[in-house]
Amino acid sequence: MKTIALYSIKGGVGKTASAVNLAYLSSLAAPPTLICDLDPQGASSFYFRIVPNKKYSSKKFLKGNKKIYDNIKGTDYDNLDLLPADFSYRNLDIELQEEKKPQKKLKSNIQELNTEYPYIFFDCPPNLTLLSESVFTASDFILVPLIPTTLSLRTFEQLLAFFKTNKLDTSKIRGFFTMFERRKAMHRDIVEEYCGKKRFLNRIIPYNSEVEKMGIYRAPLNAVRPNAPAAIAYKELWEELSNEIDR
Amino acid sequence: MNTSLDPLFFFVSDTFDLPLLFKGKHIPFSLQAAPQKNETIRFFDTFDWKGWSQKKAIVHYGSRLRIVEIKNGRELGSASLRKKPQNFFAGNIAEKTIASRLLDISKLRAFICFGTVETEVKRWRVLDENQKTVASIELRSIQSNSEEPATIALKLSPIRGYGKELETIAERLQQSSDYKEKSNFLDFYTAVLAATGTTPAYYSPKPSLKLKPGNTIHESARQLLLSTLEVIHINEQWIPQNIDTEFLHDYRVAIRRTRSILAQLKGIFPHEELYRYKQAFRELGKRTNNLRDQDVYLIQAKKFKDLLPVTMRDSLDPFFADLRNRHRKELRNFSRYLGSEKYRHFMKEWESFLKNETLPDSKTTPDAEKKTSEVAVSTIQKAWKKVIRHGRSVSRIATDTELHALRLDCKKLRYLLEFYASLFPAKTLLNIVRQLKTLQDNLGTFVDLSVQQNYLNDYLSHLESTTHNIPFAASLGGLVTALHHERENVRSHFHSAFDVFDKPETEALFNQLLNKYR
Ligand SMILES: Nc1ncnc2c1ncn2[C@@H]1O[C@H](COP(=O)(O)OP(=O)(O)OP(=O)(O)O)[C@@H](O)[C@H]1O
Ligand SMILES: [Mg+2]
Repeated sequence: MKTIALYSIKGGVGKTASAVNLAYLSSLAAPPTLICDLDPQGASSFYFRIVPNKKYSSKKFLKGNKKIYDNIKGTDYDNLDLLPADFSYRNLDIELQEEKKPQKKLKSNIQELNTEYPYIFFDCPPNLTLLSESVFTASDFILVPLIPTTLSLRTFEQLLAFFKTNKLDTSKIRGFFTMFERRKAMHRDIVEEYCGKKRFLNRIIPYNSEVEKMGIYRAPLNAVRPNAPAAIAYKELWEELSNEIDR
Repeated sequence: MNTSLDPLFFFVSDTFDLPLLFKGKHIPFSLQAAPQKNETIRFFDTFDWKGWSQKKAIVHYGSRLRIVEIKNGRELGSASLRKKPQNFFAGNIAEKTIASRLLDISKLRAFICFGTVETEVKRWRVLDENQKTVASIELRSIQSNSEEPATIALKLSPIRGYGKELETIAERLQQSSDYKEKSNFLDFYTAVLAATGTTPAYYSPKPSLKLKPGNTIHESARQLLLSTLEVIHINEQWIPQNIDTEFLHDYRVAIRRTRSILAQLKGIFPHEELYRYKQAFRELGKRTNNLRDQDVYLIQAKKFKDLLPVTMRDSLDPFFADLRNRHRKELRNFSRYLGSEKYRHFMKEWESFLKNETLPDSKTTPDAEKKTSEVAVSTIQKAWKKVIRHGRSVSRIATDTELHALRLDCKKLRYLLEFYASLFPAKTLLNIVRQLKTLQDNLGTFVDLSVQQNYLNDYLSHLESTTHNIPFAASLGGLVTALHHERENVRSHFHSAFDVFDKPETEALFNQLLNKYR
């Protein structure tokens, strides 16, 4: 089982768009794949038209394994399942504080899914919280989408600093650029400087209004518009990433 | 709540109207229809129905080859296959999941298309109020080749996490007046098979008849030989079609079995006739030797190439091309022989000889009236002791001659154990065969590697010495060397393989087996 988190301290950088499309691509190549929506806003659940069962809540999520398993739902795509987020997830941080080892909680809670899903993606909410720390421990790879701005880079540095202070494994972290706009000089400069460097992936996701339309399609872009520039970029990003994962 | 993801199957009548069932305001689901399609279902299995016996259905429809677990209808794998082959090998399938499932069923046997059936399919997705798919439905009318009306099967496929919805949908379906009965994949598959007019057949290359210990050996031997003859007849029809190598293989084994019975049951058939048939079967076996050798090389082409460094591999191609050529010619010749008057006449004669129930004159055949169990015990005992005796006398270096000879001794013993299997407790027999197998594998590999080396050396010595042939000759030489190393390695393991067989436990097993009638 390989676990891949889409994470960033900053909001609105393309975590959900990336999680949805990469998980979809993974389900085609290395089935079956699970995507865990960890954001109480439930954006990735929305993209797949999935609502959680009425009785599902953050409490069940914290019980883990079988409780999680029973609430997984099949998407409209073969070999791609999703654990929807419930609105009660907004309490997860407070609830995690009461756990004995909150940082290890997520890892142990998904352990039994091991046999079923070779790939699990986490779509994380923004901010750096106890839940994020739990995600850091549970993930083999932490993908950080970055809009090519100095502000984004700053939060990326903050994340690395946090890992170092807390003696976490920084080698899990991979930044990659999203919403890249060639006409913007700052974008060009930043991409040129960082792309392919240590802890940065090579592939860049361009700004593409088709991604915004995913809210209308309510489907992964790669499933409905595989030839859209962003879809092509996601496909290449997945190839780059899966090579690293398999290594 | 239904948490299983296995599809549900129902039979319905031809007036069944799915959209009608989903009409009305109070129904929380809507249907999304896909265009109606005509689909030809083609189903495959190996000649010996290995898929069926492992409870797997191998079917092709909608441009995909699928492998399905018969007991629950779960699709274990599928792969796009646009061509419609009449038969294929597991190794020809590129997609990994399904290829490995097929390899589990059979590596060597071809999957043969045993039947096709025309169907008409309508498919729907069932959507909830978010337009999320919660289940899918497939309505398939199966047109049988006969006059009978079409069978209409409905397949309801669940989606994880929508068990409640599935239940509601299943209930609605069953309320329809056109609903007939709940079924399962097996029923569905049986309906498909019936429509093609095929039924799973039983085939085993080993004699499966039940001998009676009290019968005369004359009677039992004839039965054994007749059932072996049946195997010969079944396979001889398929050999000329060149579908897979196992038809010839089974055919050859049946001939060897026949020869082995004839050689080991002395004093049961009149000497002259016995001699004549023994000679004839020996000749027949010989006629197939080249073909079998060629088969073996072609099966192992990849292994052979892998024995060489990458740079030399392609140089072997002319060798395999040449083999394929020879194989084609040889097969043509042998097929012609199988169709010849001479061959047919011989087989007819042999059959009527076996069907002749009258006991021969007891002067020439003193043992014909002996009890089967008695002969079984004495021949097995003799063959076993012979393996032990010869095996123990094999020198420390284990020469080619010694190992070749011992291999034949082991084969004889193995055939006897198989012939008389029905007289003995299966478990003891199985344990004995298992221990014998280690030894047989060692010897078999040894001899195969020797034969291959000789063949290649012979091939090399006939090769024209042109510069053009240098890389080719080098690769053949490389191959001989690699095979030689492998063979010497196998040789060095002979004594430990023999020790597995020659030990007190095996002896105890033999005694336990034979004591049944001693
Ligand atoms: N490559 C892109 N081109 C254009 N728009 C994009 C691209 N990627 C994402 N977007 C849009 O940007 C917005 C934010 O994206 P997304 O929801 O994926 O970010 P997020 O990091 O998950 O946000 P949050 O922190 O709120 O969870 C969305 O409206 C999305 O459609
Ligand atoms: Mg998001």
